[in-house]
Amino acid sequence: MAAGVAAWLPFARAAAIGWMPVASAPMPPPPREKRRGQDGLIILNVSGTRFQTWRNTLERYPDTLLGSTERDFFFHEETNEYFFDRDPDIFRHILNFYRTGKLHYPRHECISAYDEELAFFGIIPEIIGDCCYEEYKDRRRENTERIQDDEENENNKDLVLPELSFRESMWRAFENPHTSTMALVFYYVTGFFIAVSVMANVVETVPCSSGPNRAKEVSCGERYALAFFCLDTACVMIFTVEYLLRLIAAPSRYKFVKSVMSIIDVVAIMPYYIGLVMTDNEDVSGAFVTLRVFRVFRIFKFSRHSAGLRILGYTLKSCASELGFLLFSLTMAIIIFATVMFYAEKSSSASKFTSIPAAFWYTIVTMTTLGYGDMVPKTIMGKIFGSVCSLSGVLVIALPVPVIVSNFSRIYHQSQRAEKRRAQKKTRLARIRATKSGGANAYLQYKRNGMLADAEEEASKEAGKSLVCKINPTFETQHHHLLHCLEKTTNHEFVDEQTYETNCMEVSLTKPSMSRSSSLSSSPHGLSSCCTRRNKRKSFSVSNSNMVGGRRGSIQELSTIQIRERPMSNSRSSLNAKFEETLPLNSEEQSYITAAVISMPTPPVTTPEGGDSASSPDFLQSNIVRVSAL
Amino acid sequence: MGALMVIFSLQTKQRRKMTDSVEDELELSAARHRPEALEQLEAQTRFSRKELQILYRGFKNECPSGVVNEDTFKEIYSQFFPQGDASTYAHFLFDAFDTDHNGSVSFEDFVMGLSILLRGTVQEKLNWAFNLYDINKDGYITKEEMLDIIKSIYDMMGKCTYPTLKEETPRQHVEIFFQKMDKNRDGVVTIDEFIDCCQNDENIMKSMQLFENVI
Repeated sequence: MAAGVAAWLPFARAAAIGWMPVASAPMPPPPREKRRGQDGLIILNVSGTRFQTWRNTLERYPDTLLGSTERDFFFHEETNEYFFDRDPDIFRHILNFYRTGKLHYPRHECISAYDEELAFFGIIPEIIGDCCYEEYKDRRRENTERIQDDEENENNKDLVLPELSFRESMWRAFENPHTSTMALVFYYVTGFFIAVSVMANVVETVPCSSGPNRAKEVSCGERYALAFFCLDTACVMIFTVEYLLRLIAAPSRYKFVKSVMSIIDVVAIMPYYIGLVMTDNEDVSGAFVTLRVFRVFRIFKFSRHSAGLRILGYTLKSCASELGFLLFSLTMAIIIFATVMFYAEKSSSASKFTSIPAAFWYTIVTMTTLGYGDMVPKTIMGKIFGSVCSLSGVLVIALPVPVIVSNFSRIYHQSQRAEKRRAQKKTRLARIRATKSGGANAYLQYKRNGMLADAEEEASKEAGKSLVCKINPTFETQHHHLLHCLEKTTNHEFVDEQTYETNCMEVSLTKPSMSRSSSLSSSPHGLSSCCTRRNKRKSFSVSNSNMVGGRRGSIQELSTIQIRERPMSNSRSSLNAKFEETLPLNSEEQSYITAAVISMPTPPVTTPEGGDSASSPDFLQSNIVRVSAL
Repeated sequence: MGALMVIFSLQTKQRRKMTDSVEDELELSAARHRPEALEQLEAQTRFSRKELQILYRGFKNECPSGVVNEDTFKEIYSQFFPQGDASTYAHFLFDAFDTDHNGSVSFEDFVMGLSILLRGTVQEKLNWAFNLYDINKDGYITKEEMLDIIKSIYDMMGKCTYPTLKEETPRQHVEIFFQKMDKNRDGVVTIDEFIDCCQNDENIMKSMQLFENVI
């Protein structure tokens, strides 16, 4: 809750008078008001720049330096002010935090200087407001990465690796070639062989000079068939070994097999094996030739070696719709112009525009401004439409290209930003939820601790809900009193989520037996409450088992206390106090005090640990009913 | 020709919308309010100068423009009751504070209301409470009005209560209230019945004095 709203607490409390006439129970007494000191101005001198504020403003956050007595260490008697030898520019933001309850992060400041100031003044950076939180987290992450990089560079030589399994270290070597020399060697060897394989594919089609006894020229591939075959075999063996090693080392084999790179690998080496298997049959040789084309896909294996290629592939994939649109518009234009050209040139004799599909070729060549000249219009109409075609071709092709390029960069940046936002969204939601539940939980905690305790002790007992700075304890007690008044007005109590859930379950389970209990306890809901506490007992039944034997005698005592107390007052606080007196438990967890008490009347027939089973419900219920006033 | 007319009318509509939005913006930024002088407020309410100063500082901190509209009011009030939904009760409160019914609570309204609640006589406080319950301000509290008020109070508790809230709990509460307050059994509670009955109830009298020293 923002401390600014604390100023409205008197209003909220005054408005509670509206509940009084309809209240079904008397109100609890108001908390004791400590007489605060006079609200005076405090002068804060930060390296010569004087800031002034009210004392109350600073004391809104009592666990920071300025809000607590720690500032007395900085008091300067001669000038009657508090002197801090720190940066005044950053201090401005810290003081604004006290005033408005929101901490902002100035973008032009260095992140480490800002963090240092926050640490000095005892302010947790997690409370930075939503407006500045993303920026702060980004800068912080960059800073930590930079520090990590520096450290890595220093310690790289004597880095002691944790004990990775052989498989994991192999995978790491494959993915990051820089981790070890073996990986680097492997990386370069595979790269070399990819290049060799591709070059061999290219060179074997070059016509070599034929021998003197040959009529026509043959390609080098046919002349040195054996050499090329050996080279191909060697390359394919290396690729196969590499693929198998990667397959073995992959942490998730199924995912690896599905990945694009592994498909490229398979496509690169399959033609060779298929060629081995197939015989030199005439029918399938056509297919065999096709397969050899696939050998060129080995060049895509280079994408493992080049990050840029990977990025290009990714952006192409994400720009598929824009490319599709380009293709579609081109197709439309081609069909239109081809039709027009065909009908325009129909009249001319010996025209090459024999059909519309034949005119496609002319249209494409003209629109892309290639202009081979193998098909030329001869009629006047044809020439006119031909020129229109070439002019519009420039537009149609040139226009989508910048759009695609800008889309590339937009999509790329967008995906980066989306990743960042997704990562931060979870933490942001968690923060909001924590602050919201922190407020509610604080009140429930306060109730369980017994409301008669003093305000300061309460604030100190609260366990780690410090995602927000702890706020003024006086404010807390007054707020808790207000919530207590609301409880009294409606004669219902606040409980937390789990208790409510188990309540719902228990009410449905124990409905038939509630009528029995009504005679003994005035509250018909007592049974369900006990059953919920019984459930809570599960977690620590072992520790309380030793209490079962020793406290049997006091059951009677307890129940009489209950029945006696009932008519006098409805206030739970006095009952709580009584319990805490008669049963000095050393509870490690405050929240389970009341639950521990209920565990006492467990009958000896059931084992202490199994006490929460519904084995003897009748007996349990009758006992529980007596202690049900809680 | 017809097309031209259509285009022209579209243009003017756009321009009018633009000017409207500009005017709206002016209106919003002009919704500022400066309260009366400190002496006047001191005379009209039962707060001292210092108390008024503290109150105004807190008020202005949360509402820099000087007036609270209903949404801000609901938001502020809801922060005190995180587990439930305080907006309905805040709406009734807003109506009770906004004495001149102009849709916003200025500092004067705020301070007048607080003066009655914190420094007023029991009679005045009961009057104020009656005014709060009487939603349509006709001088009678009917069962429906009371049911609305009680339901809004129970809404503030939220879902996770012990014992669990049932459908008929508010209605039962209203019945109890009417049994106590409605002496002549005519189905409505008038201001005199209300004040009489409250003055005879010791609990209510005691709780009225509860928030004396809140400032």
